[in-house]
Amino acid sequence: MDSAIAQKTWELENNILTVETPDPSSDSIFYYDEAAQAKFQQEKPWANDPHYFKRVKISALALLKMVVHARSGGTIEVMGLMQGKTDGDAIIVMDAFALPVEGTETRVNAQADAYEYMVDYSQTNKQAGRLENVVGWYHSHPGYGCWLSGIDVSTQMLNQQFQEPFLAVVIDPTRTVSAGKVEIGAFRTYPEGYKPLDDPISEYQTIPLNKIEDFGVHCKQYYALDITYFKSSLDCHLLDLLWNKYWVNTLSSSPLLGNGDYVAGQISDLAEKLEQAENQLAHSRIGPLGPPRKKEESQLAKITRDSTKITVEQVHGLMSQVIKDILFNSVRQSSRSQNDQSGPEPMIET
Amino acid sequence: MASSSSSGLTFKLHPLVIVNISDHYTRVKSQLNPPPLTSTSATVNGVENQQQAPRVYGCVIGVQRGRTVEIFNSFELLYDPSTHSLDRPFLKKKQELYKKVFPHFYILGWYSTGSDAQESDMHIHRALMDINESPLYVLLNPAINPTQKDLPVTIYESELHVIDGIPQLIFVRSSYTIETVEAERISVDHIAHLKPSDGGSAATQLAAHLTGIHSAIKMLNSRIRVLHHYLVGMQKGDIPCENSLLRQVSSLLRRLPAIESEKFQDDFLMEYNDTLLITYLAMFTNCSSTMNELVDKFNTAYDRHSRRGGRTAFI
Repeated sequence: MDSAIAQKTWELENNILTVETPDPSSDSIFYYDEAAQAKFQQEKPWANDPHYFKRVKISALALLKMVVHARSGGTIEVMGLMQGKTDGDAIIVMDAFALPVEGTETRVNAQADAYEYMVDYSQTNKQAGRLENVVGWYHSHPGYGCWLSGIDVSTQMLNQQFQEPFLAVVIDPTRTVSAGKVEIGAFRTYPEGYKPLDDPISEYQTIPLNKIEDFGVHCKQYYALDITYFKSSLDCHLLDLLWNKYWVNTLSSSPLLGNGDYVAGQISDLAEKLEQAENQLAHSRIGPLGPPRKKEESQLAKITRDSTKITVEQVHGLMSQVIKDILFNSVRQSSRSQNDQSGPEPMIET
Repeated sequence: MASSSSSGLTFKLHPLVIVNISDHYTRVKSQLNPPPLTSTSATVNGVENQQQAPRVYGCVIGVQRGRTVEIFNSFELLYDPSTHSLDRPFLKKKQELYKKVFPHFYILGWYSTGSDAQESDMHIHRALMDINESPLYVLLNPAINPTQKDLPVTIYESELHVIDGIPQLIFVRSSYTIETVEAERISVDHIAHLKPSDGGSAATQLAAHLTGIHSAIKMLNSRIRVLHHYLVGMQKGDIPCENSLLRQVSSLLRRLPAIESEKFQDDFLMEYNDTLLITYLAMFTNCSSTMNELVDKFNTAYDRHSRRGGRTAFI
């Protein structure tokens, strides 16, 4: 199948490693070994090393559920819990479920009925064959990026004291749709007073002006974990077959239409940042006092990066629209017979 | 047993349901067949080498608007083998929990795994009829068959047919389409092809985006070819003329061009211009940033306030 060849060439060029080979015997990750988990809980190797957990493996199902739930909240933050287990220095997230709480930034932790819900849900799950324990919580930051706010940091620190091992995951559904890739981050906080030995290099992301203070104050108190995904052999098989019906949706999606106000918000935010940068630059007439450190970027350079990102997303969206226009709009009825042509071309070109 | 449905309802299935059922099945199967331990015992409980295929049961929930039934989500249920029915109190409990988080979803039916609908399933189906007067039965076939081209998911409805003079409920197949929201599509895409989760360079992003569209267009092209081939065959006379198919093809062709109005052209051009404007602005920002850096460097190199005075070259 041509699409399979295209996919393979692309994968080869980009060194994509499939996390789990689609082999029924490798579905062992789905097996829950109660004894091993209990033993790990008792040993508590994370108590001595705040940086113990380094990786997160998220199952296909958990990712799908979390993203759909986050998106269904619209502009309201939503939250939920994740179930899974640990495996050495990795936390494995097998499933996720939503909690009936309305998120506001000022809420420290979930209310009483959310706890009741959690207990009920865990019980019914155990009966239905989902044996894992709650291993973390997730919430959404619609439109303003994947990081932990001050409230989130204090909640997570509390969780890490009493409910270890615990993980915090943040999803941004608006940026996911706008950028065409999943915006997700997994974090663990450092205990109070701990200073990390080296400065972890995290991926740059643009933060809106009204949140940037909150981000800056707390960004040193937690670290991000690497996220990988896995799926079962049956999932692989089904997803491959799903493509046969799914290509229609890929072609018919139009991200530009869905995200108009998000982009407008981003641009106005960028304009404000530019004004700030202008003021900053006007005050510093004298050249830099010493050779500037490589990691620090001037305000203007950051703004340039943000604007490039917005533009790239817009251009991608427009490309899809133009392609669709060529495919479906520039045809006319004609009485000429069509010769067999190779490659994707519309039926008759004007 | 499985003939075509005539209820006239259109079904839309979300990929989340498919992944849910698949995960449930994998979990249960994996617990029944524990992975081989690295210790000496080869067969721990004797079921190791057998490939047990357990049947799992669950409930599907979603929304019904008029004639369209959209299945959004699903959850697991317990099956009581002695009474051949689903555990009722458990169902009620789960329903309550899910109602709190997703208040708009109703129970639309139930699901199970297997290769074909069986007689005993009708019993379960009937039991659910008091919740939803016409429940659905979603069947997933978990056997991995590499030659398979179609999704092994079938949706059955129940209909009252008179067979041998006795009115009986039998299962009838219904067709369905896959429906999705943008966020779901992106995550399914992500999982299916394991695209790089970080930005990568602009070139990889572009490549990823265009490859996706390219694959979709290739599919479209191959489907059109099949149709074209069929029509040519009909023209030559190899294949008997089928008028209903011809009518469908003709109506399909008449739908092109998709949109053709003044207003659309205007809006489209406006969107095009907006994007060009954004690109222009970004270029401006980039240029002014570079200029700013240049000026900074110039000032450092030719510092007028230094003791040496005047312009001196920086060694």
